Formats: sequence, structure tokens, C-alpha cells
Amino acid sequence: MAESFPVKPKLRPTSSKTTPTPESKYWRSFKIPKDIETTPSKSFVYPINSISFSPAAPYDFAATHSVNVTIFSGKTLERKSRISTFYDTAASASFRCDGKLLAAGDLTGTVHVFDPKADVKPKGKTPGHLRRLKGHSAAVRLVCYPRAADKFHLFSGGDDSVVKYWDVTTEKCVFNLLGHKDYVRCGDASPVSDEMFVSGSYDHRVKLWDVRVSNAGSVMELNHEKPVESVIYLPSGGLIATSGGNFVKIWDVIGGGKLLYSMESHNKTVTSLCMGKITHTMRFPEPLLSVGFSPDCSTRVIGTSKGNLYIGRRKMKMESEDLSDRVGWRGVAEDEPQRKVLRPSYFRYFHRGQNLKPSEGDFLIKRPKKVKLAEHDKLLKKFRHKEAFVASLSKKNPENVVAVMEELVARKKLLKCVSNLDTEELGLLLGFLQKYSTMPRYAGLLMKLANKVVELRAEDIRSSDQLRNHIRNLKRDVEEEIRVQQSLLEIQGIISPMLRIAAKR
Amino acid sequence: MFSGGKSFVSSPPAFSNDAKRLLVCTGNTVSIFSTSTGLQTSELEGHGAQVTSVIVVPALTPASKVLCYCWTASLDGKINYWDFAAPEMMRTIDIRFPIHSMVIPSLLSQTTESNQKLPDLFAYVYTEDVKKKDQEPNSLCGQIRKCNLTKSRLVGGVTLAETQRPGSITISPSGKYIGMYEKCKLRVWEIPAKDSENVGYKKIRLHHTKSFTALAFHPTENVVAAGDVTGRILVWRGVGNGTFVYDGKLINGGLNKNAEDRPGVRDEDDADSCTTWHWHSAQVNILFFSSDGAYLYSGGREGVLVVWQLDTGNKKFLPRIGSPLLYFINSPDPSLCSISCADNQIQLLRMPSMEILRSILGIKLPTSNMEMYEGFGSNIVFNHTAGSIAVPTENYRVQFYSLFDDREISEVQICERNHQPGDEITVKVNLVALSPDGSTMSTVETRLSEEGIGSLVSLKFWACDSQSKQFSLSTVIYEPHREAGISSIAFRPTRHMAVSCSYGGDFKVWVHRHEIPLKDQTHQNTGWTCHAVGSYKKKPMIAAAFSSDGSVLAVAAENVITLWDPDRNTLLTVIGDSLEPITTLSFVGKSEYLVSASRGTNPQLTLWSMSKLCTTWSYRLDAEGGYAEKYDSLTDCYFDMLLSIACSMDDSTFAVLALFRLSRPTVSAEATSQGADGVILLFNPETPVPLSTWFVSKAQGGGLSFVKSSPQLEDEVARTKAANEVLAYVNGAHEYVLLNPNGEQATGLSISRQQNFSSLEKTDKFGYASIYGELAELSMKKYETPFPSVVASERSWKTIFSGPSHSLPPLPKLCSEFLESLLERRSAIVE
Repeated sequence: MAESFPVKPKLRPTSSKTTPTPESKYWRSFKIPKDIETTPSKSFVYPINSISFSPAAPYDFAATHSVNVTIFSGKTLERKSRISTFYDTAASASFRCDGKLLAAGDLTGTVHVFDPKADVKPKGKTPGHLRRLKGHSAAVRLVCYPRAADKFHLFSGGDDSVVKYWDVTTEKCVFNLLGHKDYVRCGDASPVSDEMFVSGSYDHRVKLWDVRVSNAGSVMELNHEKPVESVIYLPSGGLIATSGGNFVKIWDVIGGGKLLYSMESHNKTVTSLCMGKITHTMRFPEPLLSVGFSPDCSTRVIGTSKGNLYIGRRKMKMESEDLSDRVGWRGVAEDEPQRKVLRPSYFRYFHRGQNLKPSEGDFLIKRPKKVKLAEHDKLLKKFRHKEAFVASLSKKNPENVVAVMEELVARKKLLKCVSNLDTEELGLLLGFLQKYSTMPRYAGLLMKLANKVVELRAEDIRSSDQLRNHIRNLKRDVEEEIRVQQSLLEIQGIISPMLRIAAKR
Repeated sequence: MFSGGKSFVSSPPAFSNDAKRLLVCTGNTVSIFSTSTGLQTSELEGHGAQVTSVIVVPALTPASKVLCYCWTASLDGKINYWDFAAPEMMRTIDIRFPIHSMVIPSLLSQTTESNQKLPDLFAYVYTEDVKKKDQEPNSLCGQIRKCNLTKSRLVGGVTLAETQRPGSITISPSGKYIGMYEKCKLRVWEIPAKDSENVGYKKIRLHHTKSFTALAFHPTENVVAAGDVTGRILVWRGVGNGTFVYDGKLINGGLNKNAEDRPGVRDEDDADSCTTWHWHSAQVNILFFSSDGAYLYSGGREGVLVVWQLDTGNKKFLPRIGSPLLYFINSPDPSLCSISCADNQIQLLRMPSMEILRSILGIKLPTSNMEMYEGFGSNIVFNHTAGSIAVPTENYRVQFYSLFDDREISEVQICERNHQPGDEITVKVNLVALSPDGSTMSTVETRLSEEGIGSLVSLKFWACDSQSKQFSLSTVIYEPHREAGISSIAFRPTRHMAVSCSYGGDFKVWVHRHEIPLKDQTHQNTGWTCHAVGSYKKKPMIAAAFSSDGSVLAVAAENVITLWDPDRNTLLTVIGDSLEPITTLSFVGKSEYLVSASRGTNPQLTLWSMSKLCTTWSYRLDAEGGYAEKYDSLTDCYFDMLLSIACSMDDSTFAVLALFRLSRPTVSAEATSQGADGVILLFNPETPVPLSTWFVSKAQGGGLSFVKSSPQLEDEVARTKAANEVLAYVNGAHEYVLLNPNGEQATGLSISRQQNFSSLEKTDKFGYASIYGELAELSMKKYETPFPSVVASERSWKTIFSGPSHSLPPLPKLCSEFLESLLERRSAIVE
């Protein structure tokens, strides 16, 4: 049996963009706060090697760049202080578990420990500079405080392929952890244990250390198969993620170093890792070197090789519910008198039960969706073709007009409609043709139609000034289009031999 | 031989006496359908040619309603008498003339008075004198003859009429008159009440200026209605008052009337008046008086059933049936009728409200409007795995039909348009292709231009839902090859890839972009995108095929075959050079062979070896230059066209459907005797001698394919040591036959039809229950319990009689209920 089909415009190609997933919405919610709009432009000249967040409440963060470590306020995201006591480029910054001390390495092989709260003093001696741990024979690229509770030790790794475990108070190296065969570039402390940490090296290996069994070398060794650029513990402490090359691998440490996943979604070398899920991709104009997140997940900082720092912050949800308001409303609801019994003499009697919500177990039968018919559809249904055509033209939606035209073609009535139009409607049609006949989407149909219209209605067009105006405009537009086509053809003529040559290679 | 897909609408069907069965002429058999379920219940097999009429012996007494006897007449010249409940054949009468129509008036007019000896039963048959026709083509070969069914012979010397071509006889509901129309004349004969071998017939003629197409008799009065080609309906009243005399007295003194008193009646016609109704815009196919004679049903090409009130001429409509109407039959049950539609479906109507209860669907017939697409032998598409075919229909749909169940599976609306029968075709679905696993369908529809404006080709990809098996639209591509039409589509067997070739000289490779749908993402962003474009010297690409492992794509570019790497879109090599453009390409199963066929004046069938890239063997299917004459089996066959190639997926065999060159006198006698015009040849690529040959009829527009046999057929096939594939052939009239490719020549697959006929009846409520629903069971225990409830009276007898009096069931039915209720009250008092 037949049903009625409304006229539909041609489908547009769907864009390849997907609708936002909750994850991508989440990542997009990091906005540069308005009050410090200038942050990205407050650029450092040198690449930002590392970003480190303080684990304590305001979540200050430190970025290392050149010979400086800059500490930013976690609240306002403004620069709080700068430590520039390094003799060479600073590399890795790390806060102590209570956020009161900051350690950083530099390329001379020294690890510096500071008090980040101390005020910046003019050059020379920095009062906050507490300890200097010397021992590495090459650049120190990894400095890390244990994350759980240990306040007295830290470990560092350097280009001399040694990982050292320090007692900070005495500035002494407790022991050296040997085993790596290339630069040690990254590492992380276990979030659950003070004694466990990992280090990753350019010899493709990730080593897991336990200071309690230090003499036995590494506890576990994982092969990443590419120079390891970054390694972190996932919050459970049982999984670690390693990056290097253009892929990220997730390992199960408790389960004996089993490879769980390998993710390849980056095009270039992955340089830094931070907690979060790989569910969203953001594009930045410069190579990214480091990334960091505040522990409360409200601030995201990304450092680039050009020295720009992108700081994004999520808006906090406002406490929006106004309690007093609610109470007032409830009072009103209680005051309402008891509902009257509905009688057939009331209007509401006939609406009773219509607002009833279905309970959970109910089987819902949907009412068949009513087909919405536009005016031109209704007219087409009654075979009033010209009226339908004019109705769609006056609505000024080019897609619908073209769809109606196509339907009329399918009924072989388009030319008949055109010849039946009166002067005013013809003016409407000519205006439409002038506007849209050069648009590539509709040109195939409209160009031919314009030709036919001029052919069919030449007499009428000649007799009316207004229509002649329309035709003049149409002519001008077509000439313009021809010029564009001409120049495009010229360009094609230039390009096509090149393409042919390129294809031969 | 397993055949099916018969036309349900070649002849009018008939209802059984209890209106629970519908007897439909389907080719050589009569199929019996249940009217309550719309499914086939049994089949009457026995005729050797098409059955043209079926007449159910009416029940004279209510008691005999259960008797199920019928007469059938067929083109093989036989009249059979059946008990269709059993079903078995009771008698056969051979009159040796093809019967085109048969009526048995005495069945309808039989009196109930019980004579000891029943009078002889006479049938009037419209026969065709084949011999006479062969001798002189313009002779009067259609004859209405009389046949004595009791004595099983034709009554000699009685020929009521002779016409050029046999048509149909119409009988009045009372059985008093029979009539037929020929061009602009109606002829009506009165059948005497006591029919015997030699009686005289009174006859009249009615004239009109247009050719008649339908005729109907009023059940009680002398009213005749006839429809003509222009859509007019003429109703004559008082027909034959001058000629037919009843019981010695004239009903009306019509004889003396002059022309002025008889409005609308042509000069010499014997009728009182003639009125004309004109609503139909095209020819009238259906005319039928309702059983009380108050209404006239008419229908025609528009697909609208019109009900005319006979006295006033007021109309009521059942519109949008969707295809031309052919026959209208009412049943003994006044609330049930059937309409046969030209697209091979029978609609069962609930009568006063005229709503369609259910449909009996066959394969949609090819229509004259749907001309074959240039360069394509067949537009029927086979689903190899599911054993179904996809047929594009006139109303912009694709019908899926199961070959093994002989039943429609589903229909898909390809483009959102309504089809009005008789309209000029401006949009057509001209290509359908199915992926080998049946999960993807692609269709091509073309909108024809209006004086050069607005033509559009769109390619659509459809995805099959794995649960509901319904196809849903996945991708629409407008003008995939600019303005050029698409010649063929091929799917890659191993992965989601398709190729479409165009006459414009290029082909495009499409791939399915697959993205994992995320949990809360309602819109699934998947679809088909263009992967590559290729062309070869700007030659039109006619056919394409993927090898069975999907590694090679063969595209026929006019006379040569180009081989491509589908992934990297590089031209591997070019082979062959035939005289005519290659129209069909196919890889032979998993073997290394490729078959190509070209048609035209020099049709050719060529087998290419992929490993050597050269011709293995080829047929120039032509009398003079051919290799064909070398082989005994083919010496007397000449082919005009190669229509289709089917390649087995597992076996390395392939079958070819070829048409005879009809003008050749040398076509084998065997073939012509069967009315065959085509031949199916089964080849093994190793040898050019065909393994087996079948002659088939109506090959024009037919299709051929190997189909994986269904599990029901599995054991049958296994017994015949065959692989699990059968060869399916669908002819131009959309009838199909399944052949066993490994059987002997010309012996088909002997598959006992899986009798998955459904049971006849639905359990229906009747009597009291049909009006009031089930009565609550009055449990007898109530009276036996020592301490019944203290309720005084349930007064159930009061409710029994509530309701309008005319709709109450008869008293005997109510009586028992009433008495029971009285008993109950009594018992309550006693306790």
C-alpha cells in the first residue's frame, strides 16, 4: 500500500567529525582562564623540558626551561617565582610529597633542592637554595621524589646511565643503581610505595627498582623496543605506562611485567606522559615537549619546544541550588488544597491520565510519527504543481526549491510549471536562478533550467522592465562564473603536467 | 525438478464452499491457500499445461459445505475432477483441445429436488483449434463448445461461437446465461433449465463502439454490465426481454418499444435501457455484481476498486492498491472477497469495510514498462548463501524471495516515491547487486530528464541488519560517475569493497569506512567512500568481477579485459580482444579461469586462463565460424545471445544461459516441441564439451546462478552425491526452477517438496463466544461443597440476556446457560 513521502532535499555529505564523546567534552572543558589571557604569549624563549605539579593543595607547578625553574601559582596560574641558580640548563623538577621542597637537575650533573616558597632574591645566593647533590658525571635528566611519605630521599638518573638514590639531608648518595646501558631520561616513583620506582633509558629498557634490595640490581626489566622518553606509574601502582617512538605501552608490573596494551596514535615521538586517558586529541601549533596535570584534575599545562606554555583550567561547578528557594516552593506545594474529584463537566476530566508517566515494567507502544508536510508537499500531494513550485520559491530555502524542482522533473511537470508562471512569480524564479545557478551544488540542474526559462518566457521577459533587470543580473553572474572557470582551467593546465611527472616517479 | 515462483494471477481463483480455502491456478498446478493465514496448504498436481480455470462445485445444502470438489480445465486439453481436501484426482476428461476458459452452468442452477438420476453435467469450454491455427493464421480458431462431463465427451455439432482468438466465458451467478465479448460485441446465450445434448439456444447480441474488456451478469435481474478499453462501464437493463421468455410470459413488453423509449441502446439490441458510467481512466478489467445485486464492483489499470451503487450510481473507493487489478472473486462468506493484482499478488478483502486482510504474494512479475537495461541480460539478483533472489519491482522496491520456501521474505523501498500503475516511468531502479554474503546491497536508480533537465543517477548502499534481516540505507552517492550510467556493480568476496563501472569510461572502487560506534553515539558514522578511480583508454566499462580470493579485479573495457590490483589500483595486465563488447565477466569458482561473454552479431563465450593470461577455449556461438559444430551435443543449437553466466563457488564448473536464434529452422525438434527458446549449458573449464544441457522456455530476461542448497534440501542432495550447490534458473516470467548440476542431462533435481504447508485454520470463536467472549466456567464444585458461600444470588441469568436482541445467539444455545444459572440460585437458597 502506498504512503506519502515528503519531498526531501539531497543529502549533504556528512563531515568526518564525530559528535563529541564525554571524554572529548571533558578535555575540551579545559579553557584558558579569561583573567590571564596573556599566559601563552608570556613565552619563554627556551623549550620547556618538564612540568611538575606540587602534590599539596594549591597545586603550584614548576616548569623548567633554560637555566630557570619557574613556579606558577596553582590558584591564579600566574608566575610566582623564578629560580635561576643553575649553571646549565635545568632538566627535571620534582616536588616533595608535601610540596614544600622542589628538586631539579641540571645538565652539569648536579641536583638542586629548593624551598619553592622562598622569595626570589637578587642574583647570587638564593635563600631558598638548600642542598646541592653532586655525583653524577653527566647531565641529570631525571629527578624524582618518592611520592608516598618519604621526605628524606630522592633519586636521580643521568646521561651517565646511572640511577642514584640520595639522602637529601646529608647530601649523600646512598647507593648507585647500575644496569642501564644508555642515557637515563625518565623515571617515576611508585604512588603507593616509597621504595619502588622505575627508570627508563635510551637503551629501550625500563627498569624497576626497589631500594630495599638495591644490591641485586633491578627488580624487573621491561623492553619498550624504542628509546624510552617517558615512564609513569598509573595511580594504582600496579601498572606503568611507557612511551617512546610513536607509541605508548601499558605494562602490568604486579603481574610480572606483562604487556597489556600498545597504543599507536601519535605521529611523532611521544615525549611526555601524564595521567589521563587517550580518548581525545588536541592539536597545537608547536611541538609539545611536556605535559602536566594538577592532582585535582582542574589544571592542565602543556609545554612546547618554542617555550610557550599552554595552561588550561576547567571551570568548577557552581553551587547553584538555592536552598531557601526550594523550601519556599515546598511550602507552596503543601498549601495547595486537596485536588477536586474530577467530573465530566470539567475540562480537565477529558485530560485525566494524559500526563501519566509509564512505570518501569510497562511496554511502550509509540504513536506512529506523524509525517510533517510542508506547504509545497501538501500542494504536490494535490497535484497543484505550479502552486507548490511558487510556495517553495517564496520560502527561500534553496535546498527545498531544488528538491521540489527535482520532484517536478520526476513528474515531468517542471517546464509546464515554468510556462504557467505569471510575471511576478517569474521574477521570483529569475531571482532565485540568479542567486543560486552558479553554486556548484545546484548548478547542474539550475543552469539548464535557466536556459530553458529564458527560452520559454522570452516574450514576457522582454515586456517587463523588472524581469529584464533580473536577466541582466543573471547574465552578469554567469559571466563572472565563466571567468572563474576559465582561470581554474588555466591553473589546472599548469598543475596537471606536474602531477603527471610526480606520478611517474 | 524443484520449481516455483508461479504466477498466481494467470486465471481467476476460486473460493471453497466454506470460504476457508482459496484455489489459485499456478502454472500446471492448482495451489490451495488458507484464507485465514494466507499460506499455502496443498497443491493439486496432474495437469500437463497451464491450468486456465478452476470451478468449485457449490454446496447445495448446508450439510454439503464440507465437500470439496472442483473441476479444473487446462491448456493440455484435459478437464479434471478433484477432491481438493484429500487432495486427489477423481476423474479426467480429455477433449484434446486447449481450453482457455470453462463454465459449468448446471452446477449453479441445479435444483435441490432429489431426482433419482442426476441429469448429465454440461460444461461450456472455450477451446482453441491449434491445427486450424497453424494452417490459416487468420481463421476462426477460438470456439465455444459444449462438453458432457458425465459421459466425458464433447457434444458433437454444438459450437456456440467461433472467434479469432479464444477469450473467456462469463457466467451469470444463477447459471442461466453465459456470455462472452469479442471486440465491440457482447454475446449472451440462455442456458435452458433442463440442459441436454441437443437443445436450442436463444441468444442476443449487444453492441458498442469500443472494444469490451469485461462483462458481468446481475444475480437476479436482467442486467448486464460491460467495461470497455476507454474505462466506460455500460449497464444494460432489461436485457433479452424480447428474446428470453420466462414461463411463457413476458416480463416486460419490450418487443414493441421503439428507439426513443430505450435510451442509450443501440438500434437492434434487445435491452430496455443502457446507462454509461465513466470514472476509470483506463481499461476496465473487473466487473462484478455483489451477491444481492445492489452494488457493482469495478476496477482496472489504476489500481482502484470502485463500488457503484447500482440504483444511484454513487461511488465508493478502495484506492492505492498499487497495481492493475485483474480479477475480483467473492466468496460464499459474504465478508470475504479476493482481488488479483497484476503484480502477482492476491489481496483478501474484508468486505463491507473493504480493508485488506492479508495478501498472498508471489514473485513480482516483470512489467512491460521496465525495459531491460542496455547491456544487461537479467535484473534478477541471486543471493548465493541464503538461496533467495532480489527482484526490482515497478513500485521502486526490491523484493526478496526465498527460492527454497517459495515465499516472499521482505521488500525494501529503494526510492521514496509512490508508484501509480499506468504512469509514465520517470524514475527507475535499474541495477541491484548483492554482496556474496548477502550483507550489503547496492542499488542504482535513475531519474530520467525532462527535456534534458534534471537527470540524476544515484548509487545507494544498503546494510543488512543481522538480527531483523532488513536492509537499511547506509550511503547515497549522487552521480557517482558524473552523468554516465552505471553498467554493473561487483562486490569483493573477502572484504567490504565494491566496484561500479560506468559507460562513461571509468570505474570506481568503493570501500566501507568502518568506525566503531561509541556507546552513547546514536548516529553511526559509517559509510562507503570512494577508494580509487580507474579507466582504460576512456573505453566504456561494461562488466566487472572479483576473483574468489579478492586479489584480482577484472573489468571489461569494451573489447578487452583489464586486470587490476584492487587495493593499490594498479593495472596489472590487459588480455583479450573480442569482436563484440564484452558484456559479462565471471571468475570460475576458486579455479584460475575467467569466463567472458559478449553478445551482438558475433556472440562469443571465452574462457581465459589466469595463470597463462591467454584463451583456453572459446565458442563463437555462431553457425558459420563456430567451433560449436564440432561437438555432437551442440550441432543443432545456435545461439543468438548469451544472457547470463553463473559460476559455482565451490566447484569449478560454470553454467551459461543462451538464447536460440529463433529464425533458424535447424533448432532441434526436441526443443521446439517443449516451447523452449533457451538452453542452459553446464561446463567444466577443462573441457569445452558441456557436462549437461537443459532446454528452458521464456529465457529472454532470465537469470541463472548457483545457490547454496538449504538445510532442508541437504540430505536430498547428498543422496544424489552432489555438492551442496544447486543451479537456480529464473525465466523471463519470473518462474524459477532449481536444477541439480551434477545430475544427468535434462533430469532435474528430484527434490520432494518440503511440505511446510501450514495448517488450514486458525481457531476461531463462533456462536455465543464470538459475540460475548468466553463464558466464565461455572464450576460444578460450587454445588458440591458442603458450605457454599452465603451470597444470595449471582443472578447470572440477568446478564445473559443483556445486549441487543438481534445480536443474541439463538435460544437453544442460551438455554443451557440459563438453566444452569437458575440451578445455581436454587442451590444457594437451599443451603
